[in-house]
Amino acid sequence: MNLKKYLALTRLGMMEKLHYRLGTFVTLFGNLIYLVLIYFLWKAIYASSGSDVVNGMTLNDTLVYLVLATALFNFLEVFLVWDMSREIQSGAIVLKLLKPMSFRGYSFWSYIGENIMSFFLTFLPTFIIINILTNGSIALSFNLLFFIVSVIMALVINFSIDMIVATICLYTESTWGINMVKECIVLLLSGASIPLAFFPEALRKIVQYLPFRCIYDTPLSVLLQKNGYTWGTGLLSSLLLQLGWCIALGLVGAAFWSISLKKITVNGG
Amino acid sequence: MTLTGKRGLKFYINIYGKILVQDFKSKMSYRADFIISNIGMIISNLVGFVTFYILFSNFPSINGWTMYEMLFMYGFSLIALTPLQCFFDNNWNLRYAVKTGDFIKYCFRPINIFFYYISEDFDVKGLGQMAFGVGTLVYAWKNLAIPVTFVTVGQTVLFLIAASLFMIAIMNFAAATCFWIQNSGYIMVIMFRFKDFAKYPATIFNKLFKLIFTFVIPIVFIAYYPSLVVLRPDKVPLLSWLSPVIGLIFFYLSYRFWLLGARKYDGTGS
Repeated sequence: MNLKKYLALTRLGMMEKLHYRLGTFVTLFGNLIYLVLIYFLWKAIYASSGSDVVNGMTLNDTLVYLVLATALFNFLEVFLVWDMSREIQSGAIVLKLLKPMSFRGYSFWSYIGENIMSFFLTFLPTFIIINILTNGSIALSFNLLFFIVSVIMALVINFSIDMIVATICLYTESTWGINMVKECIVLLLSGASIPLAFFPEALRKIVQYLPFRCIYDTPLSVLLQKNGYTWGTGLLSSLLLQLGWCIALGLVGAAFWSISLKKITVNGG
Repeated sequence: MTLTGKRGLKFYINIYGKILVQDFKSKMSYRADFIISNIGMIISNLVGFVTFYILFSNFPSINGWTMYEMLFMYGFSLIALTPLQCFFDNNWNLRYAVKTGDFIKYCFRPINIFFYYISEDFDVKGLGQMAFGVGTLVYAWKNLAIPVTFVTVGQTVLFLIAASLFMIAIMNFAAATCFWIQNSGYIMVIMFRFKDFAKYPATIFNKLFKLIFTFVIPIVFIAYYPSLVVLRPDKVPLLSWLSPVIGLIFFYLSYRFWLLGARKYDGTGS
């Protein structure tokens, strides 16, 4: 694989993201207000519960988890499904299909540029602020290294799921509904809206093995050194599960895409 | 209906009906999209309920509000958000229309430009959400043993209408920003996310943010204040009674803001 041509795409993606600076700042500001809402809601919830620790998590733990989950969401989110459905409808997708590189590779490496910019513009500042506000509650040692490994796999899984959903849209020519279902299910089952520790036992057992939690819960648990995600207590098996899903979803996505490509109908161009 | 000017309500209802029929025809030609969108809406509402259920299986009450009271506000907010979803969904396309230049067609019709633009899309998905909302509201209503009288039902309907104006106004403001800022879709996305918190009581905020969420981003008017009239009738705050008036003012301001942007628009020349 000639990495250089892909890295050029990545640079383009980064520049495109930087072009919409105002958007990034407004989004950051909006997130801040959103985090305030999360803070007040959970503060009220914990105040009414009568105990400081619920399901092994204090208010502080929950807030750190949810804030970082929101930051992670902003960092990982790309509008692959929307962009692709618009390209299918307008016919512009043809131009990308004609390029002398695979469509999936092309998309992946361009979106990764956006992800890298978002990492520095949203995730990193949030992480630093949270760590200062909580007096360094997040350890800064090997967990950072494992977190980066985990987050890269999360990125691949997220992209693969998006790509599969986008491929489904080739058949249905309908995006809104499918994307809506995807977003809701991912946000709930990944622990991004409620930490998985709060789930009822039976549900949590199932969710544990699904790919969705590999996107938000696994990297966050690794970063926060939760029990079962540190060296020696099960870090390896969590990362292996992630890797397994990376490969499985990547393969399924690739196969699904190449089969579907034959059925694509492009209107005009 | 002061907004329609000299043409009168009847004229506009008539036109709306005609546009609606065309809209249905074009939507029914994409039957799969229609069905999938509705399924998507139902599933997203189901996921909302699961989230709510998980939260309350851990915590029996929030800030002195019981589960049924919270469910009441939840259902209330779902219904109050329906008119936005059904009638004002075209706001989401505004930024594309402005960017590509398609918006110019709306400038040449001899009817109210806001009305014409908004009337072009009636989103049926919203009705599924409304069914969910009504079901939840009735369920909570029963369990709270609120009397079913002409007054309580009448109040509910009136204050639901008032409540619906607020989110419509917020989204009008957010959509109209695209007349000044190119590609301002992210503003709509951010504002739309705030509606998720409309179902929670305003008592969870501190003074400063209560003020912000009352008068700057008025999400506490979507469920909390208007539903108090029925939910806790013995001590209704003044803001609850005033919510229809404030809602109309907010809506009118957002309408003027939208028109201000539309008047500034001068096409892309394509």
